[in-house]
This record gives sequence, structure tokens and C-alpha cells, in this order.
Amino acid sequence: MRSKLAPIAITAASLVMLGLAGCSTGGSASSTDGGDDVTLTFATWRTEDTAMWEDEIIPAFEESHPGITVDYAPVGTDDYNAAMQSQIEGGTGADLIMCRPFDVNRAWIEDGYFEPLEGTDAVSKFDDTALAAWTDVDGNPYCVPIASVLAGFYYNTAIFDELGLEVPTTQAELLDVLDAIKKDGTYAPLALGSADGWQLAYNVLYSLGPNYWKGEDGRLALIDGTQKLTDPDFVAGFQAFEDLKPYLPDGYESLTYEDMMQLFTLGKAAIIPDGSWDISAATATGLDVDVFGAPVANAGDQRYQQEMPDQGVGMNAKSEHKEAAQEFLDWLATPDFQSLYVNKLPGFFSMGTEPVTYDDPLAQKFADLKTDADLTPRLALDRLSAGTPPLDDEIWVALQNMYNSDLSAEDATAELQAGLDSWYKPGQ
Amino acid sequence: MKSTGRAYRNLILFSAPAFVVYAGFLVIPLIASVVLSFFRSGEGVSTFAGLDNYVYLFTNGSTSERFWNALINNFEFFGVHLLVELPIGLLMAALLTSSTLRRSRGVYRTLLFIPATLSVVIVGFVWRLIINPLWGIVQFPLLGDENTALPTIALMSVWEYVGIPMIFLYTALIAIPDDILEAAKLDGSNAWSTFWRVKFPLIAPQFGLIAILTYIWTFNGFDIIYALNGSAPGPDYSTDILGTLFYRTFFGSSGQVANPDLGATVASVVFFLILIVTALYFFVVQRRLKNYEL
Repeated sequence: MRSKLAPIAITAASLVMLGLAGCSTGGSASSTDGGDDVTLTFATWRTEDTAMWEDEIIPAFEESHPGITVDYAPVGTDDYNAAMQSQIEGGTGADLIMCRPFDVNRAWIEDGYFEPLEGTDAVSKFDDTALAAWTDVDGNPYCVPIASVLAGFYYNTAIFDELGLEVPTTQAELLDVLDAIKKDGTYAPLALGSADGWQLAYNVLYSLGPNYWKGEDGRLALIDGTQKLTDPDFVAGFQAFEDLKPYLPDGYESLTYEDMMQLFTLGKAAIIPDGSWDISAATATGLDVDVFGAPVANAGDQRYQQEMPDQGVGMNAKSEHKEAAQEFLDWLATPDFQSLYVNKLPGFFSMGTEPVTYDDPLAQKFADLKTDADLTPRLALDRLSAGTPPLDDEIWVALQNMYNSDLSAEDATAELQAGLDSWYKPGQ
Repeated sequence: MKSTGRAYRNLILFSAPAFVVYAGFLVIPLIASVVLSFFRSGEGVSTFAGLDNYVYLFTNGSTSERFWNALINNFEFFGVHLLVELPIGLLMAALLTSSTLRRSRGVYRTLLFIPATLSVVIVGFVWRLIINPLWGIVQFPLLGDENTALPTIALMSVWEYVGIPMIFLYTALIAIPDDILEAAKLDGSNAWSTFWRVKFPLIAPQFGLIAILTYIWTFNGFDIIYALNGSAPGPDYSTDILGTLFYRTFFGSSGQVANPDLGATVASVVFFLILIVTALYFFVVQRRLKNYEL
């Protein structure tokens, strides 16, 4: 008896559920169309921040903007790009869309996904460098920048005190400091391994190098073809990277990114070049940690600081609630939001022109690295990696080869330029 | 007559679900993937490109360099598996059937097979710690050196899966009737010559099967390399195999833009490589193997 009825019951139950689901989506759509209350959906890849947005940030917005509710709709970071493309092209895209930096976003702009933001209050709070990651080919902005990440050199202050070392400001001083730690022999000078190519590029070369290729000058010249990687400035940048080789720990060829952080947090290494996103990890074991920026070539040179745009927010061009969405974007550009956001997420930084204070002392020190420095994003992620072979991936491998198999800075840059020349035509 | 008709009806009825699932989830995607490899898409339209993708994959400077490198690495990956897995599997199977083990046989059999049930991610992680030059047992950066990285990963994978050829050979060994072995003993054959002259020829067909399964498995391989080294497996692509090359091409990597057409081409090449060798095995080798009636 029971077994005969069970399938029918299950079918009936699932039909009811489907019906309910259908009603609920239909219901919410119709209720947002008319009347005062508007619900905006906000698509993002930051699944890990769901609680923070839903419990703290969105309530703060809703409080000051009655009548607008925001639905946080995260999609896992690996599926995000494909999901956005299919949703927007299928006409079911969210009202607010988190923007990937550079090439992916530029493709989305060209496909007409975003409403242009030129002339709105939201983008007036940012300078051109901050907006650059989310502009079209002509430089018009499409997303409000909300967070960037920085890179620098974390150091263990106890080891520096013990050995009587000063924070280096030039490349020569950096090498002297490393030399002194190596001679002492108690600690590894650098927690740096070459098993993970990406961090050699993102945390070392793109940090040290801009001091030689003059940040944006060099990066943009590479994009418009007026400079090449084989030019002396770039070779010098790669050479500064190579200079660190004698100070790597034994067996560095197979040290992974995780190993490096362990070496540092166990107090066995003095310095680790790393991104600001690792602030919590670096201080997890209670070490007294401070940070310095990439040293310049010669005393008195202009200092350059890597600042990588990470998250922006744009408006779906097909959104039915553009006014409400614009209010949200304007709010994202206020210091209210920015100080709330970056203090909830230590390691991420505001890109606005108005100053923001950071509760986390190490985050504040990272933010201080931006003062007096010219900012520049990672060298090869804009345009130069949109073909095969992608320059960014090629740089990872070239840097590994420089450490693992004695590839020289000259040969590495020559190889990389040849790979780039095989597909990249500047000015197109 | 009537009963044959019913038998056929039942045959169709009972195989239909499996056929539908197999066709829907394997055959159709496979054909779609091969078809995709003959097209080139751009600007939102897909145009028929004939063999262009294949020519590009085999001859274009930087792309073909990665492809041939991955292919050679894949043969090396297969070679290490075969050369290490077979003898060790055979040794373990022979030891398991030895009469001195009678009581603890079940325990050893289970212990030796346990690694095959572990997740690749765990195997990779544990081995990576064991051979870590900072806190592991060897000072040499095995995974950081271009010459040793691939054999090292292959050996981790062998450690994990050696239980499978062992079980194949073990079941073949215990299937040999005792009277044959007793006859050999009566004829004055010692354990050594009984193994090589009586048992070994009887289990020989298993080697072919294990070899072809290893071939298929290693050319479809991806997981352990991706778990250890990601989708652009270094150092200097020395651990890149066709599976990781496919993944990187099809889905894109950090900086690399996804190219589904070329990715499908890599997948089709893998499919044809496996198809041709498997067909050769079944039509040429399998027919010549001697099967003894026991």
C-alpha cells in the first residue's frame, strides 16, 4: 500500500514545489516592476563575502536608501565569467554586476553589457588610473572601482631588531640587508620559492620592476608599442628580480606559495614578498610584522607601488531599475561605503581619491605605501595577455627559468618579446 | 518463436535506460566535441574550418611547441606507469598468493589496495609534504627540477594505483587450478620454475589488458597533475600532459583566453590517440594471445 502510493506522493509534492518556485520568482518580478519598492540583484564572484554583504553592507545601504532592497547573488569565481555571459545574453542578468579588471571587462563592454558611467557622480570620485581597469578602448568608464590589492615586502621586525637591520629603500640596501641575514645564518633571508610561477610575477617582478620601467610610462608604452621588453629599462627590472636569487632558501625550486608563508610565519625567514591579501595569514601566529615597499634603483628616485584593481561594480545595460542601480553605484563611491568595506576585508584597499582609515595596523601600513608613490597595476594583464601565447603566463615561466635554470634577464626579455610579437599588434 | 520475440523486447526494454544515459552523456558530447574541433568561432559566429584547427595545433610556433611537449610528456608519464606498476604489481600479487601468507592474506590485500581508494588531492598533498625540501625527507627539490618533476608525479600516481594491476594479476593467479600446480610439483619443478613456467604463461594475457588500461588512463590523465601543479604545470611545462593542455586551452587560465575550438581539437586528438591504440590492441594483440583452457 505504502509502496504504491509513495511515487504518486513524491510526484505530487515535487509538482507543488515547482509550482511554488514558479510563483515566487514570478511574484517578485511583478512586485518590483511597479510601486515604490525596488529590488536590485547584485551578481558577484565573492562567495566568501556573502555574510558580510548581507549582514553589514547592504543593510547600511538600505537604511539610507529606503525603498531599495539589494539581493546579493554570488557565483563561484571559476564559473562567474561564463555565468554572467549566458545570463546577460539570455536577458536574465543581474542589475548590478561585479567587473573583472581589464580584458574580460573590455570584451563585456564591447558586447554592450554595461551602461556607460561617464559623467556620473560615482566615477567622479576616482582618478583615471583607478578607473583604467574598467574603461572601453577610448577610456570611458563603465564600473565603479571598489577594491584593489597591493603588494609589498613583509618583514619580521624581531629579526630586523636582532640583527640590527634598517628597512631598505634602495635596491643596493635591500641586497645588503639580505646579505647580512645570509651571513648571520640563523634565518633564511627571503621566504621565496619558484614552484608557483604566478607569485614570482605578481609579488616580486611586478613590485620591483616598475621602479625601473617607470610604472605606467613603461606599461602603457609596452601596450602602444613604443617600448619593448628588450629595452634597457625592462631588462633592468628583470635584473632586479634576478638579483634576489642568491638569497633564496635551499630547495627553493619546489617551495610552493603555502610553504613560503609557513616559513615566514614560523619565524624562520626574515622577509616575504607577498600581496596585501595575505595580511591575516602573515600575522596569524602572532609575529610582529611590518611591511616595506619595493625599493627604488637609486636614492631619490620616484617610488612606484603596485596597485592591482580587483573589484569594480557596473550596471547592466538591460536593467529595469537603472535609477535605483545608479543610487547604489553612487553610494559605492562614498567614503562611508569604502571605509566599511575595506575594514571588513583587511588586505583590500579603496581606490578613491578621498582618504580612508584602516583599523588593521598592517593594512594601514600597506595603505601608507601608496602615499608619495606612483601607482601601477600588474604589467601584463592589460591587452598583452589577450592572445596566444599570453604574456602574463609566459612571464611566470620565464621567471621560474631565471631562478631554476640560469636564464639571464637579457635572454628572458628577448624570448618574451618574441612571443608577444608573434601575435600582438600595438594600436589595434 | 514467441519467446524469442519477447526476449528481444525485454532486451531492448532493459538496455534502453543504459543506452539513453550512455548516448546522452557520452556519445553525443563526444561527437559534438569532435564536430566543434572542425569549426572556428569569433565575433559571435562559428564557421566551418576543416582541418585548420588541427594544422594550427600541430604546426603553429608557440601552440604546437606546447602540444608536442605535452604529447611527449604523456608518453613518459605512461612509460613510468607501465614499467613500475607492472613488476611491482606482479611481485605483490605473487607474494599474496604465497602459501606462507595464508592467514594474513586478507589484511595485506586490503592494505596494499587502500591507496587506490584515496583521493588524488590527498595523495598529492601528502607526498608533496614528504618530499618537501624544507620539512620533508629529501633535500633535493624533486618537484622543482625539470628532469625529475614528471617521474616524481608519475611515481606518486603509481603508489596510489599499483593495487589495481595487483588485483588483476592476483585474481588470475588464484584462478589457476591446484591440480596443475600439483602436477608440476610431482614433475619435480621448484617454486621458482613453477612460477615462471606454469603460472606466468597463464596470467600473461592480463599484462596486455593492464597495459592498455594504463594507456587509456594515463592519456586521459589530468587530476594528479592539476592537483599538484595547476593548469600550467611547471617547472617550464615539464609536467604538462594532454589533459592539462586541454584544460588550459578550453577553459583558459589566469591570463590565457579560453579557446573552445582549439580545446576541442586537443580533446579530439586525445580521443583518436586512444581509439587507434585500443583498436590496434584488440585487433592485433588480443587475437594472438594464447588462452589456455584450464
